[in-house]
Amino acid sequence: MDILRPDSLEAARAALKNGSVALAGGTELVPLLRDRIVEADTIVEIRHAVPRGIQGTRIGAGTTLGELEVDPQIPDALREACRLAASPQLRAMGTIGGNLLQATRCWYWRLKYPCWLHGGGRCFAHEGLHREHAVFANAPCASAHPSDVAAALLALGATVRTDRRELPIAELYRLPTGDDRRMTGLEPGELILELEVPMPAASTYLKAMDRKRFAFALVGVAAARSPEGTRLALAGMAPIPWLLEDESALDEATPLPGNAYKLEIARALIRRALVAVAP
Amino acid sequence: MKIELSVNGERKEADVWPGESLLFTLREKLGLPGSKNACEQGECGSCSVLLDEKLVCSCLVLTAQAQGHEIVTVEGIAEDDRLHRVQEAFVQTGAVQCGFCTPGLIVATVDLLAHRPEPSDDEIREALSGNLCRCTGYQKIFDAVRLAARA
Repeated sequence: MDILRPDSLEAARAALKNGSVALAGGTELVPLLRDRIVEADTIVEIRHAVPRGIQGTRIGAGTTLGELEVDPQIPDALREACRLAASPQLRAMGTIGGNLLQATRCWYWRLKYPCWLHGGGRCFAHEGLHREHAVFANAPCASAHPSDVAAALLALGATVRTDRRELPIAELYRLPTGDDRRMTGLEPGELILELEVPMPAASTYLKAMDRKRFAFALVGVAAARSPEGTRLALAGMAPIPWLLEDESALDEATPLPGNAYKLEIARALIRRALVAVAP
Repeated sequence: MKIELSVNGERKEADVWPGESLLFTLREKLGLPGSKNACEQGECGSCSVLLDEKLVCSCLVLTAQAQGHEIVTVEGIAEDDRLHRVQEAFVQTGAVQCGFCTPGLIVATVDLLAHRPEPSDDEIREALSGNLCRCTGYQKIFDAVRLAARA
């Protein structure tokens, strides 16, 4: 294995070839590399190649969660999502671009069970432990998407700019299918450069977790009100960040025997969030 | 690959695997076992060090990422032969039980007091939230932080 540290976007693009992996803060990728869940010939450290910092409604993908959570210019939902995402140590290194691309916390996947998401035929969470797993779109894979930040950006209607296109954040993600089990639609080597986050009239992010200060979301609820209406999005509830039409759409969930409790929590958090963003 | 690091104000050189964590290099290559290796997932904070004056988990940072940056480990906290006032406060309040979380908590507390010399209880909780004590000795750890802030 080799590591490259390009100092420009052009050099990073040239370095990101087959068999390489992009590294930003490292909080997600370093353990995955060590456990050989992600295998690569070359690590390309992109910290000096992607934009970092906040300019009006534009946020560089290399901006850390710690930098975002103290910035008064960004919407409340995003700031809260960054603050609640992880411990101070992780927020000091983890970037917003990397946060959007993190993999599931499903322990079967993390422990390298030969599960459906790893290319196998079974979802071990379905028959085993699935208290933290998905209640929407949870077959054939019940993994839950952990990103608080993605849920906030989804409610806020953010746009993602990569080195080759712009797309609404909803289109960054895809539900995995039998012949393509990836959770994002990024092409190989495609880099998230920037996020465009419109300023809402009001927004909030509420999170239920096993510990008070930080843990991965059991349920995360983002709400953002703009002149077009109020948008809701969920973290920890589906294999990808989940846009929710309204509270009644919770009735369409397909919880597993051990995680229907998430719907009760979601209902309560949605009501609180709607009160918080009401005019 | 050869990497040059600045650790506790000294220049060090290490031969590392590109995917090697800073924690591994500190402990196994540079003879600095103060930073502890527990979860290796960023959950417990026992490997906390300062990287350019920012508190990070050294298990989640590649050594290669740290090249050209200033690293301070728990070994670099004391001044000459005297314990740092945070270390002194941990001793005095009995905030050390099995001791495994202590180095990370010392570094996290030094970082907190550098930014907030008189932290509120809530700020202490937030600042130490990334450090787990498996003996659950949080009350005395709290007392130690308050004592160090007053000292």
